[in-house]
Amino acid sequence: MIDGGEAIRFESVSKRFGETEAVKGLDITIEQGEFFSLLGPSGCGKTTTLRMVAGFEQPSEGRIFLDGQPVETVPPYQRNVNTVFQSYALFENLDVFENVAFGLKRRKVARDEIRRRVTAALELVQLPARSDAKPRELSGGQKQRVALARALVNRPGVLLLDEPLGALDLKLRRQMQLELKAIQREVGITFVYVTHDQEEALSMSDRIAVMDAGEVKQCGQPEDIYERPRGEFVAGFIGISNLLEGRVEDSGEVAIGNGLRIPAPLPNDCARGDAVQISVRPEKIAVQEIEPGMVSLEGRIETRVYLGVSTQITVSLGDGARLVALEQATYRAQADDRWEVGQRIRIGWRPEHCLVLR
Amino acid sequence: MSERRFASLTLLPGAAWLVLLFLVPLGITLAISFGVTDELGNALYAWHPENYDRVFDPLFAPVLLRSVGYAAATVALCLLIGYPVAYYIARFGGRYKYLLVALVVLPFLVNYLIRVYAWTAILSDEGLVNGVLEDLGLTSDGVRFLNTPWAVIGGLTYGYLAFMILPIYAALDRMNPSLIEAGKDLYATGWQTFRHVTWPATFQGVLAGSVLVFLPAVGDFVSAQLLGGPDTYMVGNLIQQQFFDANNFPFGAALTTVLMAFLLIFMVFYLRSAGRAAAEARA
Repeated sequence: MIDGGEAIRFESVSKRFGETEAVKGLDITIEQGEFFSLLGPSGCGKTTTLRMVAGFEQPSEGRIFLDGQPVETVPPYQRNVNTVFQSYALFENLDVFENVAFGLKRRKVARDEIRRRVTAALELVQLPARSDAKPRELSGGQKQRVALARALVNRPGVLLLDEPLGALDLKLRRQMQLELKAIQREVGITFVYVTHDQEEALSMSDRIAVMDAGEVKQCGQPEDIYERPRGEFVAGFIGISNLLEGRVEDSGEVAIGNGLRIPAPLPNDCARGDAVQISVRPEKIAVQEIEPGMVSLEGRIETRVYLGVSTQITVSLGDGARLVALEQATYRAQADDRWEVGQRIRIGWRPEHCLVLR
Repeated sequence: MSERRFASLTLLPGAAWLVLLFLVPLGITLAISFGVTDELGNALYAWHPENYDRVFDPLFAPVLLRSVGYAAATVALCLLIGYPVAYYIARFGGRYKYLLVALVVLPFLVNYLIRVYAWTAILSDEGLVNGVLEDLGLTSDGVRFLNTPWAVIGGLTYGYLAFMILPIYAALDRMNPSLIEAGKDLYATGWQTFRHVTWPATFQGVLAGSVLVFLPAVGDFVSAQLLGGPDTYMVGNLIQQQFFDANNFPFGAALTTVLMAFLLIFMVFYLRSAGRAAAEARA
């Protein structure tokens, strides 16, 4: 559904609040029909970015284009975007139907059409039966659906979602993630989704921009972000990063603190002696069952955490270096009783699963 | 002793205070309102309900209507002045929020009587305002402020403005600021957002403020006494007259009882509305 046209473009956008620089030199283009996530820890500038698109904040520098048009002089109520707020921000004095109809009424849409579109929007979010309930009578998940319907009913060019699932419990969250994604496919509207939950971003997005301290650290597809993180922050923020400090050796190896030399796919411009970090995802680490061609190390199990579908073990390599391995509880593994703390084991991984970061 | 029993003991001083100093005098007032006076003007307990007929004597109708009218005008003025003040403090007060609230309350450190008395100096024919107007050449023979309805309503508004600002401020401060953004996000202009979002969300505060201003304003006698004249007397002045000048305690008590019954209607209306809102907020 991504049709190539540009929905939003940021041109060196910065935002300062007094001394603090919330967003620094943002340059991103978001395509039409894209599910685009802004991912980062709290205070990284992702919500500020969203609010600048909505028109609640003005950039200190740079320009934002919506549908190719600069929007600095366009007030929020004239922008072709709608927002789903983190707190839902439903109007308590209005019932569900009136809440959803609010935007259409302000735009002087005919009564019959309002009725038709509100009904359709409530069906889209699977809430048609509660149209005369007041917001306070709804559960968190239902409020979320009303907030979504209230925004989508206006058929905006872009839908902005500010951590919309943050207040829901885990199970409902998972379900709403699937539904949100399905709804986005169905309506084909560009979604800009702010979240601090990496799993949420990975599972829903077409593309993700990982932000930290006001800057975009990496922007790309979920697979890119996860498999080929650029830099320590992205590697650390998405999943368990397993970083080991080391120095580049002549032999195409990285020497880590305790004298171990680990073969790694070094970038071409690495010189001997460069300080680098290597990273291996926990699920890529084999425990005990080392295959030919794998990098293999010996260590001691420091902790063992049983997680149901998997067991997470921390392996100390000596000299402060440690790696986390996730062993899936497949038919082959009796993961819950396999390892003891203190046990010495071998771990290993395929060289291509090792990532060199600078 | 259970915690609950002990907790109810803490009510005792307050309850005793209210019973002795409020309920007992109220009972006496009620009893005297049916009484008569002897030749010397002393009140005697009796059964003389005709006191109440006199309250509704057409002679006093203008005073009663004037009181309600002045109080209503005061509520309207307080709302007009107070809402923007509360709005500014709640939304844009930032770190000066509490200082600004303190400034709103500050005049209350000075007695109401003294504050209104100060107004006579400002508004009198040779007062501050007329002095400035003459210096500016806007008037030569002075503008009459005192003894006009405007002076009385102005005094009432000045006296009770904080009662309007504080509950509205509290309502605005409680309100989720995202609601205003949601309004704008859904194509409502500034005015439409206020009309359809902010005003309904803060209406309980407006209601509370209106009742808190209306109740004392209806019964007020200070403003009319100091800033008004016989043409602007309110029911409070009439009651005061009965007790202190005319020495007609029974009629004064009857007026008081009727006034209280009238105010009680508003009080009940307000409490029910507030109770409903609280129940809704809990649900």
